[in-house]
Amino acid sequence: MKKVNVCLTALAVVLVLGAGLHNIWAYFTTYAEAQGGYVIELGDRTHFEERFSDWTKRLAVTSKTDSQPVYVRAKAFCGVEYSLVYEDAEGKWNLNGADGYYYYSDILYAGQSTSELLVKIDGIKLQRETDPQTGETIYTNDSLEAGDQFNVVVIYESTPVRYDGNGNPYADWDAEVSTDVESDPGDGQGGGE
Amino acid sequence: MMKEKGWLKKLKKILFSPVGTIGLFALAMVLLLSSSVGGAQAALTFFSETYTSRIQMYDIGVTLQENGERVSWRDYGSRADGSWQENTGRLLEHMLDREDGQEPLQLGKVYKEELNVRNSGTINQYVRVSIYKYWMIKETDKDGNVVYVKNEKGEDVPSYKKMERTQELSPDLIKLHLLYNGCDGNPDFKNGWLLDEGASTDERTVLYYDKLLYCADEAGEGKPVETELFSDTLSIDGAVADKVEQKVTKEGNYTVIETTYKYDEVLFQIEARVDAVQEHNAEDAAWSAWGRRIHVQDGVLSLAD
Repeated sequence: MKKVNVCLTALAVVLVLGAGLHNIWAYFTTYAEAQGGYVIELGDRTHFEERFSDWTKRLAVTSKTDSQPVYVRAKAFCGVEYSLVYEDAEGKWNLNGADGYYYYSDILYAGQSTSELLVKIDGIKLQRETDPQTGETIYTNDSLEAGDQFNVVVIYESTPVRYDGNGNPYADWDAEVSTDVESDPGDGQGGGE
Repeated sequence: MMKEKGWLKKLKKILFSPVGTIGLFALAMVLLLSSSVGGAQAALTFFSETYTSRIQMYDIGVTLQENGERVSWRDYGSRADGSWQENTGRLLEHMLDREDGQEPLQLGKVYKEELNVRNSGTINQYVRVSIYKYWMIKETDKDGNVVYVKNEKGEDVPSYKKMERTQELSPDLIKLHLLYNGCDGNPDFKNGWLLDEGASTDERTVLYYDKLLYCADEAGEGKPVETELFSDTLSIDGAVADKVEQKVTKEGNYTVIETTYKYDEVLFQIEARVDAVQEHNAEDAAWSAWGRRIHVQDGVLSLAD
């Protein structure tokens, strides 16, 4: 019986000390935390428009409403028998002589369009006449014969706007995203076959 | 030899009997338990302004600050019921704010992201921070369809999950510029934050502040209440847009090359967690709470090897 008494006494002592040890081992600690982030929207979606009239291509690029901001450039090619003359009424398309591209100076934000870049096909002597049957104005050229074809190829390119460490925007054309377009002059007056 | 009195003899007999011993043990248990219950009741019952003004309570509290504003905190209160005040805010919430709304996130652009820690308790403390950065992608079901969940406004939004480490989008592209002693390869730079290289990976960085943070009542010259900045800027590397896939289609006279980005609509996430321990017996407290051996000498914390 004595053993039981001793055991119970010892257990009581351990329990009482244990209750005190809880306080001895407890430290003041705390914490705080937070998190956050954003979805990266990488789609640059551009749409191009071409209108052909008076032996002139009128080029414009539109950024779609869900597109990220982009820079745009374009250039056109044609056969050696003709030459191309560029015109820009608003002065926003700037030629880089090194690569032959015309660079649009503004950043194109979602939903915005560039001003028109006019590409005139030069070297074709045209004569303005009135169609005796329909009365419409037509252009004729003695050097062109029915069945003659010519192509004017326009390349449009866009690249997402990037920023340097100081937050200044720039275009990285080495990482370009391009939309190549090859087209006939279209069915505008005086063009085509 | 004196003869014991009758009542004393009876008491002795009862006490040393098995019933007496067990009874006393049970009584001890009841007393032990009731003592803690009594304390809790006392805290609830004896509450008055006079009472609280006379009791000096020691409470720990810590706050994470972003661009000088409190974001998240957990401050234990002076009431004996163990209550605390806390707030868990969101980082980067105002990063894209402009006067006319929010601008889209722009790759490579450097955004201000100044983070530091403030002692918002009533005892001095040592702190450490753990910073995580990782990518998340849209969650899909077994048929490959995007899983949607409701947001706070009740709108259906895509559910995101953490990107597997095996995928090629590196956490290094999330450029949270961290500031600590010797950062950017500059041994002369010192701001008090120590990098725990052993605990850090490309996703996680653990920093310890080597100075004691004083509570507001004790703060003053040479006794800071908040730390130096442990980060100052954030940018997303433009290389995230380098992975593309192209599809060529014919539309009438036009040849259209459509470029899609492999990592379009991925989500980047950063997390910061601040831990604080008491000044007294800080070495043991840090070992107990953080599992990290530290040394504190003359109030300066250093990391044990």
